[in-house]
Amino acid sequence: MAEQREPTPPERPLVLMRFRPVWTYIDGVREFCRFFCQTTFKTSDLAERASVVIQETLENAVKYSTQGDDAELELRIQNHGEQIEFSVSSLPDPRHLSTLREELSSIASQTPEEAYVAAFLRAATEPDASSRLGLARIRHEGRAELSLEEEPGGRIRITATGTLC
Amino acid sequence: MLNPSLLVPPDVANVEVRVAPVGIALFGSITTKEPDRSLGVFFRKVHEAALAESLTELAVDVRGLSFVNSSAIRLFIDWAIWVSQPGRPTYRLRFVRNPSVTWQRVSFPAIAQLAAAHVVIEDGK
Repeated sequence: MAEQREPTPPERPLVLMRFRPVWTYIDGVREFCRFFCQTTFKTSDLAERASVVIQETLENAVKYSTQGDDAELELRIQNHGEQIEFSVSSLPDPRHLSTLREELSSIASQTPEEAYVAAFLRAATEPDASSRLGLARIRHEGRAELSLEEEPGGRIRITATGTLC
Repeated sequence: MLNPSLLVPPDVANVEVRVAPVGIALFGSITTKEPDRSLGVFFRKVHEAALAESLTELAVDVRGLSFVNSSAIRLFIDWAIWVSQPGRPTYRLRFVRNPSVTWQRVSFPAIAQLAAAHVVIEDGK
C-alpha cells in the first residue's frame, strides 16, 4: 500500500494582525513590530528596518483603502530561513491600483539607491510624490524587495522581503 | 539671530521643537499624516525669519528625531529647495544628524544632493 503523506500544513505567520484602515493605529502597530523583531531576532538593525517597512506599507494601505465594512487591513510577518517577509493586504480604491502598479514597476527598474535618489528628486519638483518616496524608502532604508499580488475580491497584498541581517 | 519668542512651534503629537537663536532642534518622531500643514508651515516661518534676519547659516538639529515618515522627510527636502532658489537671498542650511540612526544616515546625503551649494550635513554626537 502506498504511504499516504499528510498534507503540509499552511505556514503560520509569526505575526498576524487585522485592523481597520485608520491612521492613528499605525504608530502602535509599527512600535509593536519593532519590539517583536528586536526581541525575536535580537537585532536592532532589523528592528529599525522593520519600522520603515511597516510605517510606509501601512501608510500606503490606509491612504488608498476603501472605507467600507470590508476595508480591513491584514499584516503578516513571516520568516523563511534567513529571509523575513512583511506583507500587508488591503482593499484599495480601484482608481489607485494602476498608479501603485506603475510606482512599483518604476521603482523596481532601478537599484534601491538610484530609486531612492530619484524619489527625492521627484519629491523636490512634484507636489504629490510622497507615495514613491515611501516605497523607495522600503527598498533602500528597509533593504527589502517589494512585490504586489492581487487577491480575490479586489484585495491586494504588498510584500516586502528582506534578510534577517 | 532668530528670536525664539516670535517663533512658537505647533503642537504636534510625539514631536518637540525647540527654537534657539541659531536654529531649531527636533525631538521625538514625526509620523502624522500631513506634517506639511503644521510643521511645514512652522519651518517656512523659521526660513522667512532667517531671511529677515539676514542669517548666513541656520542649524536644524535632527539628532533627537528617532523616526520619521516619508511625508516628514519631504519637509526637509522642501527646506533644501527653499534655500537653493537661484537669484534670491539665502543662507546655509546645516542639518545636524546622528549617523547611527538609519533614516538620518541614509536620507540627508540624498537631501544634500538636491542643494549641494546651500546644504551642509554635520555629524553630531
